Amino acid sequence: MAYVATRGGEKAIEQAERLFRQDLGTIDAARVEAIRQSMPYLVDRVMGEASLYDEDMAALALAQTGGELSEAVLVLRAWRTTQPRLAVAAPLLQEDLLTVRRISAAFKDIPGGQILGPTLDYSHRVLATDVLEGKPYNPPSVDPAATAAPMRQPSLADWQRQQGLVAPANDSTVAPDDIPDLTREPLLFPASRAHRLQSLARAETGGVLALGYAAMRGYGNAHPTVNELRLAEAEVMVRHPSGTEFSAGRVRVCQAEVTSKEKGGFLELGFAASFGWNEVKVIAAATLDLNSAEAPVGSPVHEEFYLSHTESVEASGFCIHFKLPHYVTFQSVLDAMRDAKAKAAAAKANQDVAVERQTEPAE
Amino acid sequence: MFNEASGPGPERRDHADILGILARARSTPLKALAENLLDQLGDITVIVNRTGLVMVPMRDTVENVDFHLGEVLVSEAHIADADGRIGYGMITGRDLERAMAMAVVDLSLAGDARAEAVLHFIETERLHQAALDEALMRRVEATRVEMETF
Repeated sequence: MAYVATRGGEKAIEQAERLFRQDLGTIDAARVEAIRQSMPYLVDRVMGEASLYDEDMAALALAQTGGELSEAVLVLRAWRTTQPRLAVAAPLLQEDLLTVRRISAAFKDIPGGQILGPTLDYSHRVLATDVLEGKPYNPPSVDPAATAAPMRQPSLADWQRQQGLVAPANDSTVAPDDIPDLTREPLLFPASRAHRLQSLARAETGGVLALGYAAMRGYGNAHPTVNELRLAEAEVMVRHPSGTEFSAGRVRVCQAEVTSKEKGGFLELGFAASFGWNEVKVIAAATLDLNSAEAPVGSPVHEEFYLSHTESVEASGFCIHFKLPHYVTFQSVLDAMRDAKAKAAAAKANQDVAVERQTEPAE
Repeated sequence: MFNEASGPGPERRDHADILGILARARSTPLKALAENLLDQLGDITVIVNRTGLVMVPMRDTVENVDFHLGEVLVSEAHIADADGRIGYGMITGRDLERAMAMAVVDLSLAGDARAEAVLHFIETERLHQAALDEALMRRVEATRVEMETF
């Protein structure tokens, strides 16, 4: 396609970029720090969709793009390509996650108990307008318990497997370096499970929510119930040159399992996880995973449909490219339209002449 | 990638714990300690001091399939002294100085695993990190819920 059949406009383009950036004002370390501190969930969302975990870089991307999320994700993914990959960490296991929130809507009494953690789920959503009138909102502190919660919680799915409620699963035997990687190879269909879950982990939140919601409303074949939802921190386990495995630090992760109904004697489960704490995304993504098995081709819960349409950079890039000059392709549309109109007019004129000729004898 | 060719195995039983504590240690005192240690270490060769990415896989709980969650930005430092002893630091985030400081402390321990000032620093940081975790998990425990059905 000929998108650029035009030249000139360099000055206008430069001024347009200046106009965008001038409106945002000076970006300094203090602004980046303020974004990182005050909007952790937004930072989490950008890191998840960019598939790059670094709170400072994500906050910088938000500052630099004025919070335009697709631009922030794009610039972060682009920066990621400048960095070498140094290692593949040990796989995160559910039972090793440093868990701060863990709930189940399917089972009331889960091993380890239910911990609400940080959430607004049961709160009134009231805007604190007093803040705008000069009265700062100081949130009340948590009354800490006398004893600390265990940092690690057992895997509910493993417990269900022991009870015969969930289908057995073989232990993974793939070495970390051999795990399929979408950043190094194309997504082909039918996708491997590793590709599907990686793609969902970096998918655009709004897109996943829209398609997951479509499934929940009835365009899928399985209505989800949250089997287990976790917000946690995970140790990034790397290796010292001597062979010692150690934690290089912690990252925030979230994961959801959803279940629907019995199939073949077991509960069906769908799974999704992402960097950062983004519950809506992983519940919707797990719902798509749950619905994938028997999804009709072309339906929103078919993996080719939802994976193709929730890839953040591809989707936003394709959408915004329609703003770029399409003068040649559009000119051909105009030419075709004018040609069709001319032919139609000529045909009508001929028809009128013929009608006139036919009516002559009656006159 | 060093993960593909693992080394001879842990040299010291508590090495993993020490490295984990150093990776999370507070920046200012860690850098100050490394600065003090440098004079005692003689000539040091910097093998690597760079930022880069660590890919983090996760295990799916439904089919036990490992998949990639995404990459974490890290800073890495790899140094050696004149006797060939190795010091290594890797931390999450973009702070080459902090990674280098971790590597210097690691190298110091490789030469003298009982260096008093270093062990004191590690114990101080261990207690500090444990206190932070304890305080967080007490707040988390406050949100434990017992649900009843009717």
